[in-house]
Amino acid sequence: MLPTIVVEDSKCPNPLACRKCLLVCPTRVLGLGTDVGPQKYREIDPEHFIVRGVREQLCTACMKCVEICPNGAIQVAVERGVPA
Amino acid sequence: MCVWCQRYGEGYERWYLNPANYARRLYKVRKEEPEAAGAEGNPQAAGGMASMGRAFLEARERGDLEAVERMKKQAHDIAWGIHFGQVITKEELEQIVDMIYPIGLMTCACRRSMRGLPNEENFTCIGMGPGMYKWERWPDTYRGGVHFLTPEEAKQVLDSLRRRGLVHTLFTFGTPYLAGLCNCDYPDCAAIRTAVDFDVKVLWKGHYVAQVDPSLCNGCGLCVRRCQFKALSFSASALKANIDPLQCYGCGLCRDVCKPDAISLVDRASLPVLAEVW
Repeated sequence: MLPTIVVEDSKCPNPLACRKCLLVCPTRVLGLGTDVGPQKYREIDPEHFIVRGVREQLCTACMKCVEICPNGAIQVAVERGVPA
Repeated sequence: MCVWCQRYGEGYERWYLNPANYARRLYKVRKEEPEAAGAEGNPQAAGGMASMGRAFLEARERGDLEAVERMKKQAHDIAWGIHFGQVITKEELEQIVDMIYPIGLMTCACRRSMRGLPNEENFTCIGMGPGMYKWERWPDTYRGGVHFLTPEEAKQVLDSLRRRGLVHTLFTFGTPYLAGLCNCDYPDCAAIRTAVDFDVKVLWKGHYVAQVDPSLCNGCGLCVRRCQFKALSFSASALKANIDPLQCYGCGLCRDVCKPDAISLVDRASLPVLAEVW
């Protein structure tokens, strides 16, 4: 089953500097982006950077990202598969 | 035959050896494209570039081939019109570096998105052409700034990136305008990920295919870690390198480290089946 990854942005103030979850994931499931488009003449503030599940097809629900997040911002939900 | 060479080659051997495709005329066209207006905000797009969304992953998961093919076609239509890439060899790269101006060394958006790589470790991308003069207007796209290089400096930088094992790729920004010369690897390059993981061709294979001459291969295995496309393996029984020609992107990185010259690049067009495998 395809896991669902939920990140609570209010608990994740500066993922660009922290990046612990991005580095701990064995298969680069998570992606770093922003919740605003590029702005003319302005660098995007760190609080607009967000982490999302992007490549969930490779997520094994190992929970390493959940465990490493210092603020408990990440949740990974997975339905138990039915034995084939 | 490569459709891009057919459409945009204008008599040159390859479409990306045609100087017109780096010209200012086309840069102006890009202003009208939706991608230029800031669609990169979504992390699946930012750095993920043409990454496929959750709906695609779910369709794959439930085995809905019709939906998968429909979404692949949609992704192709968008990418091929606006932003897609093709692998090039070091020989082609040298011709291109002598043709482009200006040449700006910048940070890689993919590695920022995949690993949050700090700017100082992330200067692996080349932006080229007139758009680079305006980099200060878009501080976020060019996070970390831009170093403008002479062609000789650019060749040195690109040479060292290739030695590290990064593959040279060219990217359009409003096809056929070529403005990105990236240096990519698996698993950090979003285009390689999308192409290799999903067979969604936001990155086209190059015009060559690598072949091993088993009588020359000494089984040293140095080439194996150079492949970014899951095309090269090491045969445990024959003790030789093994290349999957259908999966080979023709970058030539394996050939570069082969001491006995057992690996050569052959023209994709010379192989009837591979001629249409991009």
